[in-house]
Amino acid sequence: MFLKQCLLAVIGGSAGLIVSAGVFTVLISVGLIPRFAGKMHVAKKVFVLEEMVIFGTLFGCFFSVFGEWGMIGRMVRTHAVFGAATEGVWNFVGTLIQIVFGLFAGIFVGCLALAIAEMLNTIPIFARRIGFRHGLGIAMLAVALGKLMGSIIYFTQRVFL
Amino acid sequence: MSTNNVTIYLKAEQNIEMQTPEVCVKDIATLTCADSHVLAKAKSLKLWTFQEGECKRQVISMLKVIAEIEKACPGVSVENLGETDVLVEWISVDRHKGFAQWCKLAFVALISFFGTAFTIMAFHNDIGINEVFSKLYEMVTGYRGDGYGILELSYSVGLAVGIIVFFNHIGGRRITKDPTPIEVEMRVYEKDVNQALIATADREGKTIDVS
Repeated sequence: MFLKQCLLAVIGGSAGLIVSAGVFTVLISVGLIPRFAGKMHVAKKVFVLEEMVIFGTLFGCFFSVFGEWGMIGRMVRTHAVFGAATEGVWNFVGTLIQIVFGLFAGIFVGCLALAIAEMLNTIPIFARRIGFRHGLGIAMLAVALGKLMGSIIYFTQRVFL
Repeated sequence: MSTNNVTIYLKAEQNIEMQTPEVCVKDIATLTCADSHVLAKAKSLKLWTFQEGECKRQVISMLKVIAEIEKACPGVSVENLGETDVLVEWISVDRHKGFAQWCKLAFVALISFFGTAFTIMAFHNDIGINEVFSKLYEMVTGYRGDGYGILELSYSVGLAVGIIVFFNHIGGRRITKDPTPIEVEMRVYEKDVNQALIATADREGKTIDVS
């Protein structure tokens, strides 16, 4: 049994190492974080951003790998952490967490999607082919609105089912 | 005063941030010259003055600098060893401090945190990590697993070690002296932006150049 556990530990450890290398190579090569830092003029504090990337990943890893242990809402409700007011307090806190998580994850994914599209040079090549010179701003706005529309249709029409 | 056969060597930077509106030769390049009198004269030549409310970014061609130096010190030859175009930005002193700056950092930090958390969760969901792990567990031990065990734990530890080695620091302390990948990418990005700005200014004819 001990040997089997050792084997499992080795498998798990190696899988984790390679997955982190793979996922982060993609994140780095699209250059998202430097762009955020450049836009916001916080290049000097890029260290903090890297720390946030590290802790964000570990946070996400915990909640997706140990899904059953991450059921904070259920835990709070069954143990009635805030006493009699638990239901009300947690409804508010839960909504707040959802808003924060959804908003920031959405910004990140939106940037990631366009950064990947840009890495493949689709927009400059297409613009050059059709002799597109003015109104790039309108085209970008159309892309953003299209994404918003697609997202709304996806969730309201339950495309995922 | 004989200035014959004296050479000024210039090494221009690509990107300069100015605190004062007046741009002199010594702000955009480092100079050296055998004749200290000529050197001092060349260093203090004024190239450009930023006006309030006008574009705070200006591209200066080194040809213009060379022409100015040759005009001020006739007979001197000028050698440029650095960049050919310099991007000068005028930054008011207190723009980079204070509450707004802190808010921006917090905003970007939150995006980085929740964004990567979401990315790794979506990735795990994509590959169905829990099914993969329970299958692996069954293969190795011969039993159906219940709950979480060593596999999940070591995977998480491996992920953490991988990221920390990849990014080369933890808790504000570097593991080795190399720059981190984001720092490298940051410099590449800055260089690309500078080159794009210089090229744009050149195309629009806004570069300060000899006409």
